[in-house]
Amino acid sequence: MASPLEQFVNNVRTMSASGSFRELCDVIAKSDEVLQRNSAHLSTVLETLDIQQHSLGVLAVLVAKFTVQQGATDVDKSTMYQQIHDFITNCNGEQVRFSPELYTELCHQLTNYLIEIKQPIRGIEILKKAIRKIQLFDSHLTSIHADLCQLCLLSKCMKPALEFLDTDITGIGSELGGNNDSKHFLLYYYYGGMIYTAMKNYERALYFFEVVVTVPALVVSHIMLEAYKKYILVTFILHGKVLPMPKYTSQVVCRFLKPLSAAYYELATSPHAAVKHREIFVRDKNMGLVNQVLSSMYKKNIQRLTKTFLTLSLSDVAARVQLSGPAQAESYILNMIEEGEIYAMINQKDGMVVFLDSPEKYASPETLCVLEQQMAICTKLHQYIQEMDEQIQVNPQYVKKSVGSHDEDMPATSQNSKTTYSM
Amino acid sequence: MFEMNTAEPMQVDVPPEDNENNETESYIVENPTLDLETYAAAYTGFAKLYRLMFVAEHCPSLRLEALKMAISYVMTTYNVSLYHTLHKKLADAVASAGLPDVAVQMGSQDIPVLDTIWTESKTKKAAIKLEKLDTDLKNYKTNSIKESIRRGHDDLGDHYLDCGDLTSALKCYSRARDYCTSGKHIIMMCLNVVKVSVYLQNWAHVLNYVSKAEGTPDFNEVPGKDSNQSILTRLKCAAGLAELATKKYKSAAKHFLAASIDHCDYPELLSSNNVAIYGGLCALATFDRSELQKQVIGSSSFKLFLELEPQLRDIIFKFYESKYASCLRLLDDIRDNLLLDMYLAPHLNSLYMQIRNRALIQYFSPYLSADMHLMAAAFNRTVNALEDELMQLILDGQIQARIDSHNKILYAKDVDQRSTTFERSLAMGREYQRRTSMLILRAAMLKNQIHVKNVGRDTGPQSGEAPGSSTSLTPRTFDTVPL
Repeated sequence: MASPLEQFVNNVRTMSASGSFRELCDVIAKSDEVLQRNSAHLSTVLETLDIQQHSLGVLAVLVAKFTVQQGATDVDKSTMYQQIHDFITNCNGEQVRFSPELYTELCHQLTNYLIEIKQPIRGIEILKKAIRKIQLFDSHLTSIHADLCQLCLLSKCMKPALEFLDTDITGIGSELGGNNDSKHFLLYYYYGGMIYTAMKNYERALYFFEVVVTVPALVVSHIMLEAYKKYILVTFILHGKVLPMPKYTSQVVCRFLKPLSAAYYELATSPHAAVKHREIFVRDKNMGLVNQVLSSMYKKNIQRLTKTFLTLSLSDVAARVQLSGPAQAESYILNMIEEGEIYAMINQKDGMVVFLDSPEKYASPETLCVLEQQMAICTKLHQYIQEMDEQIQVNPQYVKKSVGSHDEDMPATSQNSKTTYSM
Repeated sequence: MFEMNTAEPMQVDVPPEDNENNETESYIVENPTLDLETYAAAYTGFAKLYRLMFVAEHCPSLRLEALKMAISYVMTTYNVSLYHTLHKKLADAVASAGLPDVAVQMGSQDIPVLDTIWTESKTKKAAIKLEKLDTDLKNYKTNSIKESIRRGHDDLGDHYLDCGDLTSALKCYSRARDYCTSGKHIIMMCLNVVKVSVYLQNWAHVLNYVSKAEGTPDFNEVPGKDSNQSILTRLKCAAGLAELATKKYKSAAKHFLAASIDHCDYPELLSSNNVAIYGGLCALATFDRSELQKQVIGSSSFKLFLELEPQLRDIIFKFYESKYASCLRLLDDIRDNLLLDMYLAPHLNSLYMQIRNRALIQYFSPYLSADMHLMAAAFNRTVNALEDELMQLILDGQIQARIDSHNKILYAKDVDQRSTTFERSLAMGREYQRRTSMLILRAAMLKNQIHVKNVGRDTGPQSGEAPGSSTSLTPRTFDTVPL
């Protein structure tokens, strides 16, 4: 065994024993090259280290091992899944949190491998475990989230991702921000939006796509562009028109994304746009959504009718909504009644539709329960905001800036504050 | 000098949208009952010329007469280029009229011929006058007497205006601003600028200077109450005109209603009849019943304006008495004449539409249910057309009702306040949650400095990875979505 490698193992052992993980991270960062060069011996190194005690060391070796093996044979790769699985189940969470970059890198490697061998579903459980292990709290976003969503989408198994997607993110892992590019952040919200779209939770999907589109941007990202297209389609399904973007949207979005997705805008104005720009939609793989937009337009129009009419004949419905005939109108209305989207009765004898008011009277215990839940959520959010506000209030930098020269006013606060809120 | 004059006065600085507006709506009015002589007599200066030209453009039967009047008026000014334009138009009109008897008849009478001698002498005179005014101004400047400089600028502006060079006139009038010594001067300057800006159709400028004039400190203390009133009326009229042109009908109505008839002497812009019509129509289109009663019918000052336009007075009274059919019929009667008004014509359709909608709303307001056959009769419409109109109004939320298309009855919708409150508060709660979580996420995002940027890789850093992974995914996801 080569001596630098031996030295590495020794370092890992002594430092892990003494608990000086931060220094160990530095050592690992420097010994990257050593590990790469001795790729042949890495398996032996692994045997000498204990997953639980020397998690960081094992992590580094694993990452190095699978990075090197890009051109390697399948045999080596087959052990990869098992090794990573073992590592993630058994590693020490406290330790790996010192090096989230390496940890997430390992997960990305696994994801890529599984996609390559077309078995994405195998990775879902591991990645879920991996996320839970490294998360500091439930609403903590890591770059593994994006991998998980990708695997869920590819395996058409959406549900596992939902438990993560449903939690609103309040904190972001350091490996996502800083000098790293925002790829994984964008991808998480893009994939998340797609998962919600597939689950027909359009409200939430819109929220996710909106996040992608409003990320501060200096240049246009393709993820953003694709998200923007889907954003437009989903707004059509939900609201029937394009809503104005929030004010903090970056200028590049308005300047570059809008002209690039002109075909999508046309959908709102003319139903023929779907045929006219069919090629574009098919190329963007959005044809399914476009078809949904079209049928939702009919539905929106029928819903508008319920607001204005008490009774209307089926042929009139067809004429006003521009459907082909009474039969089609009837089937649309029937479906909508079943889905609970409108309240109506069809009288087949004289071909009339009677529109009813919503039977919801907001008097049932269920309504009250919903109301209370909603109020609780709002209160919780409000409290969180207040906490954030307080944190800022006691942040030394903020205090210094806002008080300016009159620092004699609040010496107590600035000294007491222990929170560090890096600006 | 001559080059300046050749600038087309109509096209200077006109905002493009206004230009389009005028051009796209090329319509022809066939049977106006307009007495051109009295109509033209109410105006002076450019107002007269522009209005006559507008009539000539849109009304073939009055074209020749209007052009002739315009030419004879333009000969009293220095505006040589407009004289040429008008002559050209006249020649076209005569040629296109085609009807020999008309041409012969008119030709035998007095088709004015292009007077080249007049042109030359006028051009010369204008140049001489300009030179004189210029040297005068220079002298004043060397002597630096503020008052004289101001007057010099004003005179120069007047002359430019006379020659039809509106932009230069505007420049001169605005330059006078630096030499104003009293509030009165500032107001005079503002009035001049407002006048030229109206000719140029620069409405933002008009409003700007109106508010400047109104904001002048001693505006309210100008000696002589009468002159003060007349200035106020002028400002109100100009502001109303600008608001009308920018489609803010309600504030336009308010401005016009504030005009006072005794002091309404503003032939450079509009006549008292114009004030009555503009104000009356705008008020009818935008005021609700009590506002209409209090501010229009009950207003002692505007009543006098309405006396000038008895037809409009009848319309407003009929409207107030809920006799909509006759009201709308009367409105249709005066439509042709109103289409010949250059400031009102572009807005006539939307104003009429709004008046009609308001009538529909008022008609239905006291009822719980209304027979649409009767309603259609009251509004001179077929039942189906009425249904469409009502549908639009219901969708806009202007009428709280629903249509029973089967029995053709309109039912007022009883809005359940409790349910709507619940509905709204739930929606508001969801909106709050959405926004707040977005806010929290954004705070976290900024804290971690997440933004899309060029990472130091080769060209198109994101382009390599993003679509690769996303497009390979998209089809599979959305094919699974059942339609």
